[in-house]
Amino acid sequence: MRHQDNSGWVFVLPAVLLLGLVGLIPLVTVINYSFFEIFILDARFWVGGEWYQEIITSMRFWASFGRSLLFSTLILAIQIPLGIAIALCIPQRKMWVGITLAMIALPLLVPWNMIPSLWLSLLDPETGILGHLFPIIHWPIDWKLSAPHTWMVIIAMDVWHWTSLVVILCYSALTTIPASHFQAAAVDGADPWQVFRFIQLPKLYHVLLMAVLLRFMDSFMIYTEAFPINAGGPMGATLFLAVDLGEDIKAFNYGPSAARSVLYFLIVLTVAWTFTKAQGRLDREGGA
Amino acid sequence: MTRVTIYLPALKRSALICFIIFACLPLIQMTIVSFTATVPTLTAEVGTLTFDNYLGIWSDPNLRSAFLNSIAYVIINICITIPVAIPAAYAFSRLSFMGDKHLFLAFIAFRITPPVVLTLPIFQLFSALGIVNSVFGIALAHCLFNLPISIWILQGFISAVPKEMDETAFLDGYSRPRFIWKILLPQIASGIAVTAFFCFMFSWVEVVFARILTTTNGKPISMAITALFGFQTDIGLVMAVTVASMLPGAVLLFTMRNHLSKGFKIGSL
Repeated sequence: MRHQDNSGWVFVLPAVLLLGLVGLIPLVTVINYSFFEIFILDARFWVGGEWYQEIITSMRFWASFGRSLLFSTLILAIQIPLGIAIALCIPQRKMWVGITLAMIALPLLVPWNMIPSLWLSLLDPETGILGHLFPIIHWPIDWKLSAPHTWMVIIAMDVWHWTSLVVILCYSALTTIPASHFQAAAVDGADPWQVFRFIQLPKLYHVLLMAVLLRFMDSFMIYTEAFPINAGGPMGATLFLAVDLGEDIKAFNYGPSAARSVLYFLIVLTVAWTFTKAQGRLDREGGA
Repeated sequence: MTRVTIYLPALKRSALICFIIFACLPLIQMTIVSFTATVPTLTAEVGTLTFDNYLGIWSDPNLRSAFLNSIAYVIINICITIPVAIPAAYAFSRLSFMGDKHLFLAFIAFRITPPVVLTLPIFQLFSALGIVNSVFGIALAHCLFNLPISIWILQGFISAVPKEMDETAFLDGYSRPRFIWKILLPQIASGIAVTAFFCFMFSWVEVVFARILTTTNGKPISMAITALFGFQTDIGLVMAVTVASMLPGAVLLFTMRNHLSKGFKIGSL
């Protein structure tokens, strides 16, 4: 067992200072602003919890909260199983592994603000590769007017963009399984499903937890990619949580945007706490 | 052998090929458009094959400096993140200290905090420090998400090094810092490479901080692309710049591929 040794703080001190500067100080500033009405930064009035009350009681907030939650759920339901499946399909032969991984990881390198442009270009009925297929699959040319179609495009875009990360993480965990485990399974006559269920999946738990955390939070707060596809439309059907915050910031509404930021940070904190609890439980059960 | 086991390899291969096609489809579209003339010029009609878009990148001083800015801030970010992350990852992996679990929670919370939440105060803080409109500001802001993830990845690599190594070194009279420098670092070299790659990847493509911290100067490549959108956007040029912006990452990815494929253990504390 590890013994208690507070010299550990010396080693984490640089990291604490750095994150204190770029994380904690801005956070405290935001919390401070959230209780004020601010026209310019030198003139401010205490308004207490007014901004919070305004946000919490607005239908718009809960509507976008629900949309973001639905979006994240769909994203996790697609990306996590797909990521595992693709990671299991990656070949064993040495030469092809690297090339396959590199090909799969390419979408991660596209600047985020270009991703909507790429997809809009792909779906263009005249010049896009997928756009040419529209008549064949009876996809409407004016898909932007339809909420389900816009949702499908945004989900396809996010699946394209981020499944690679899940694949890479899962693959890295799979390679740490010793070959002797598979040999033992083959001797016992285990079928592929049993090999997956009892040998591969347990090794994936930790990394899947991390993948779920990253993918949940990043899709829940999707901002740069989703909005330009259809400007939150049609009729606000794809307005997600972060869009409201972005609009407040652009309008220089310091107070309301700060209150919104604090609320979002509370969501972040809840998710992070749930995550560490789940991780703690995995560590105890697995003894790893 | 059941029928499933016979068909499984073929099934796996076709699933993988389908996924790679899906992953490459938008990139193929992008490459095609980047070689197409999309605004009428003297030399090429709209819709014809042309290399003008790529020549356009070279002749535009804004785009050239944007490339340099992007490379500069990513390198600065890696140079800050890795040296700070290594001792922290070591501490989380080997030492138990008061509040370590809570500190880890705080780090994770900062990693998943959406940048848009902290944009305003970070802009103010960095203005006060005088590092707005410089590559240094972006590099520092990106530590918010790169540092926690680096600690996380490195911690996995350090935990994979047997503990006996520490103990033997201490018996030989090494101090902890000297042990990290002399013995641990060579052991986790590929871990450092993987971490640096992840830092590069998350930092190169980020736009929220990059946008708010560069209003007049020091624009990275992603912002330079945004600036190309206007009344009559030359989408061919836009796509050409995007292709070019992916090249450094792609080169890095292909040189790193064997480190990535070797597998790394992450996620367990």
